[in-house]
Amino acid sequence: MPKAILIDTTRCTACRGCQVGCKEWKNFPPVATKQRGTHQNPPDLGPYNVKLVRFSEHMEADGTVKWYFFPDACRHCLDAPCKSGASLPDSIIQDKETGAVIYTEKTAKEDFATIKSSCPYDIPRLDPKTKRIVKCDMCIDRVRANLLPMCVKSCAMGAMSFGERADMLKLAAQRLVAVQKDNPKAQLCDMESVSVIYLVADAPNMYHKFAVAEAANTPGMTRKEMLAGAFSPLRKIAQSLQG
Amino acid sequence: MSVSRRGFIKLLGAGTACLGLSQLGLDLKPAQAYAARLKTEGCKEIISICPFCSCCCNTLVSVRDGKIINIEGDPDYPISGGGLCAKGAALRSLHVSEKRLTKPLYRAPGSSKWVEKDWDWMLEKIARKVKDQRDRDFMLKNEAGLEVNRLESVFSLGTSQMSNEECAVTHQAIRSLGIVHIDHQARI
Amino acid sequence: MTQSYTDIANADAVLIMGSNCAEHHPIAFRWVLKAKEAGGVVIHVDPKFSRTSARSDFHVPLRSGTDIAFLGGMCKYILDKKLFFADYVLNYTNASFLVGEKYSFKDGLFSGFDASKKKYDQSQWAFEKDEKGMVKRDKTLANPRCVINVLKNHYERYTLDLVSQVTGVSKDNLLKVYDAFAATGKPDKAGTMLYALGWTQHTVGVQNIRLAGIIQLLLGNFGVAGGGINALRGEPNVQGSTDHALLYGYIPGYHNTSIATWKTLEDYQKANTPKTVDPLSVNWWQNRPKYIVSLLKGWFGDYATKDNDFGYNLLPKLDPGQDCSHLFIFDRMYQGKIKGGFLFGHNPCQSFPNTNKVRKAWDKLDWLVVGEVFHNESTDNFKRPGADPKKCKTEIFLLPSAYRAEKEGTISNSGRWHMWHYKAIDPIGQCRSMGDMVVQIMGRVRALYAKEGGALPDQVLKHELPATFNADEMCKKINGMFTRDTKIGDKEYKKGQLVPAFPLLQTDGSTTSLNWVYCGGYTEAEGNLAKRRDLAQTPMQAKIHLYPKFAWAWPVNRRILYNRAGVDLVGNPYNPDKAVIAWQDGKWVGDVPDGPAKPMAQGGPYPFIMQTEGHGQLYGPGRVDGPLPEHYEPAETPLTVNPFSAQMSNPCMKQVHASEYDVLCKNGDPRFPIVLTTYCMTEHWCSGSETRNGPALLEAEPQQYVEMSPQLAEEKGVKNGDVVVVESLRGRVEAVAMVTVRIKPFTVMGKTVHLVGMPFAFGWTKPKCGDAVNRLTTSVGDPNTTIPEYKACLVNLKKATKVTEL
Repeated sequence: MPKAILIDTTRCTACRGCQVGCKEWKNFPPVATKQRGTHQNPPDLGPYNVKLVRFSEHMEADGTVKWYFFPDACRHCLDAPCKSGASLPDSIIQDKETGAVIYTEKTAKEDFATIKSSCPYDIPRLDPKTKRIVKCDMCIDRVRANLLPMCVKSCAMGAMSFGERADMLKLAAQRLVAVQKDNPKAQLCDMESVSVIYLVADAPNMYHKFAVAEAANTPGMTRKEMLAGAFSPLRKIAQSLQG
Repeated sequence: MSVSRRGFIKLLGAGTACLGLSQLGLDLKPAQAYAARLKTEGCKEIISICPFCSCCCNTLVSVRDGKIINIEGDPDYPISGGGLCAKGAALRSLHVSEKRLTKPLYRAPGSSKWVEKDWDWMLEKIARKVKDQRDRDFMLKNEAGLEVNRLESVFSLGTSQMSNEECAVTHQAIRSLGIVHIDHQARI
Repeated sequence: MTQSYTDIANADAVLIMGSNCAEHHPIAFRWVLKAKEAGGVVIHVDPKFSRTSARSDFHVPLRSGTDIAFLGGMCKYILDKKLFFADYVLNYTNASFLVGEKYSFKDGLFSGFDASKKKYDQSQWAFEKDEKGMVKRDKTLANPRCVINVLKNHYERYTLDLVSQVTGVSKDNLLKVYDAFAATGKPDKAGTMLYALGWTQHTVGVQNIRLAGIIQLLLGNFGVAGGGINALRGEPNVQGSTDHALLYGYIPGYHNTSIATWKTLEDYQKANTPKTVDPLSVNWWQNRPKYIVSLLKGWFGDYATKDNDFGYNLLPKLDPGQDCSHLFIFDRMYQGKIKGGFLFGHNPCQSFPNTNKVRKAWDKLDWLVVGEVFHNESTDNFKRPGADPKKCKTEIFLLPSAYRAEKEGTISNSGRWHMWHYKAIDPIGQCRSMGDMVVQIMGRVRALYAKEGGALPDQVLKHELPATFNADEMCKKINGMFTRDTKIGDKEYKKGQLVPAFPLLQTDGSTTSLNWVYCGGYTEAEGNLAKRRDLAQTPMQAKIHLYPKFAWAWPVNRRILYNRAGVDLVGNPYNPDKAVIAWQDGKWVGDVPDGPAKPMAQGGPYPFIMQTEGHGQLYGPGRVDGPLPEHYEPAETPLTVNPFSAQMSNPCMKQVHASEYDVLCKNGDPRFPIVLTTYCMTEHWCSGSETRNGPALLEAEPQQYVEMSPQLAEEKGVKNGDVVVVESLRGRVEAVAMVTVRIKPFTVMGKTVHLVGMPFAFGWTKPKCGDAVNRLTTSVGDPNTTIPEYKACLVNLKKATKVTEL
């Protein structure tokens, strides 16, 4: 049964337990950073930061301040364009049990630019040392051992839930109704096509440029077009792999 | 229903060792071959507590061969439900940090360097310092001629990092030397 | 905390003030969110908009150091609009007590002030008593000297207009908070207040909290689920380390350190055991002599007998009024009067205010023993930037400490939960636990005294200190044991048996206990209750998130203090849906009640059992700087006039003067027009000496920053990300400008006042991350606690032309 993660940003306090917990579980090496006038650090996702809490602050006309937090990571698309974009069958695979999209060591042989540009969420990153393409793997090792993905496990605020997709969709719908009472713009980001569903209280671009797969984010192509056509021959191979 | 955090981890059972798929001798497909071995395979889990804020989040420390492999939140702690903030999530790194002090170090007057010494040497020297200072400066009486039995020239600072048992023995030790300049993080 | 973290979820209103809960007690915020999702309102009052504000219903920016003005306005609002819980106030607080005729308040000063000593004669604030010694009361509340009327009169000046002008909070925002929080004055509503160092670290710190207490009493918010005053205590075991009194002024269990004029144990007991003639007052501290004798007996063992005052004369005694806290330790160190000392898990050369002075004082030590996990600014002070190691004569013994997972023992969370942690691995390298270090040092010192004699050897040698440190054994000693076969009532206890609970502690030497509050946490029947992991609850307990079988809470496993105030006179809970305790069929159910006695209507006692007269203190004559909180400006203020009175700052404020750094700006100093407030952050722990060694943490928060408004940045020609120099009269600090709409300029008394905020986690031992912000802060403290004023001082800033620290 496919799994899903619901990320309810209205409960996120940006404590960054997920960002650090992920890094710790993965034994990723440190990254040298600078203070650049924001709490968001490292500035972006990277090969050693596959989970990153994004901060964005806004002042409304009446002086009300909004500070949005967006724990960014791979969406594990149901029909992953990166997988369709891969040239080798075993470099990007999708785990049947969970739906996790996984980059194997063979991604080192893929064209990084192609894979990166195929992602409507700007997720893939290149490890300069191993040449592998890196992103979140849904903690597939933990999930198989009946443990929660580390980011979900770290979150004490209830901002992250993990479970059967059907259950997560139900939960997402419930939370949306609750959040919409005070936040009419609230929405679930790309719920129908991803396994990592974000609930946002405001327009998604107020959180992050790539919060949703907008047409604007992938020049010349909408996400649907991309999924439907661009890599169709490869998709067939991919589907056969999924069984 | 979604699997609750507590339920999820309970399937595993705290304190038990976990078997990886690879150990079950399965023929693994590519997806399963990827990261098939759980990092904490064969680990023992021990309950500890995060040493930072006063939420005192309980933690599960995974240990294998006397080494800390992982530290994460304890889902049975009602307050955290198994979560940890950034600091708590970094506990493994902090425990295994190469920056840890691991040997007694001595700095001589005027020196710019630390020198490694053994515990006996250190304890011997410290005891002598303490005794000499106390004997030199101990006040039996104050200016008004009242009995005070105190030592003003030595202080004790810290610490809320101690356990209750360490605090109790430390308080007693400090008072047994007559020290009165005592303070710690409760005041700052 | 009067409650536990889980209880926050029960609140109808959560006022977070003087705390940035989501950032500094991140996991506690889980329960704030639960309250919010259950329909509660979450209010954040704080100088800056933080991650806490982001998740609150609304944020109200307040000029740092004006909490009393803000809360005084709320107090007046509640009284004027009669929003208080009338029955509660009448029955459970001292509202009807008559304040003596000597009390007065005039232009910022209470009666009895001696300007030369900066001290009050507190006896002038006493209640009026009748010939039997009973406090006089007027239950009609008509007498103008009734506490409630004195209170009303005192806060008459705290009008919306004036409060708004002083605090910089708009009147709309004031009303928004006052309305939302005062709505909890209804019997079935509860409001909680969460505070932390944002209230304590002011020269009026204690009075900030007093006023919070006054409001909670008016609204009937003590003793109920979702109520109370909750100090989100900073450090991991700062609750326990306070209980065990790693503080100069106390011995374990909240008893005063003896002073020279209390020559005998009898003198001590007399001076420290409050008396009341009111038979309905439990006056719990009347039991103090039992706890003192049990403590002495625990310390001195067989040596302690009735004939030698149980060893009382071997305790070090202070002179009356002698202050030996941090502020004075460093002042005396700077003067060369303090020669050596012990430093365990503490980094004062980074975390203590006026750090330039502290670092110089530290240089003057002859010797220093340190127990630490990592090098930090205090261990390595001799080689700090600009210092010449050759000139520092200090001999330093740096002992490597075991880290948390390498040792076992108990710690106590803010909610007083006493919890055991197990040892996962042996200490790495040659590390030892601090308990081992202390015991081993003392073993050697004692051997020297036994062999050589010296100054009062008995003080050193008569203490029963263990030869090796064993957490379980110490835990038992803290709980306490019988020293001989003893019969109490019809029950017999054997020598060596654990004392079941503190009511059984004795004054005759038949019991020991190193800390009475923990007595009952380790029992013969169930073992160490700190190890309990049972999540079982009755349905009544489940409703209010009470976990009575998880670990153990002091006192006697009571999770919500003063819970007898949460029921009416016949014992029915004010809020039946969220009952903490209830009187059912002749007994109490729910939480452990504040004593098993019957409800008040059946002749039971008053609910505030720790107060001598059994009533919550709206008027509290026990604090040195006044029986009622009054707004004074911080020691450094951008104002030239305090609009509330002629008294600019707290008249009793503690100050030191030994060094050139012990200087304060004059009021409204044009050279330093900006208010600085300091804080810690989620990603680093306090001074950062540990967490800067966590790669993922340093990566997330790598360098010193200063948060400022876009308006100030524009005024100063500073862009986001520029390095700026922040200067005060005492020092300068380099920081990266974080220009943010989350900080807004304040309009105070018609003028714009800018505020900036800086974390104190960055120090020079981690290269290029910045250095101590506390080089800017002041050496002044609250007169009751001597907690320094970290939260408000004056600075100026400019764009850096040369960068050396970052």
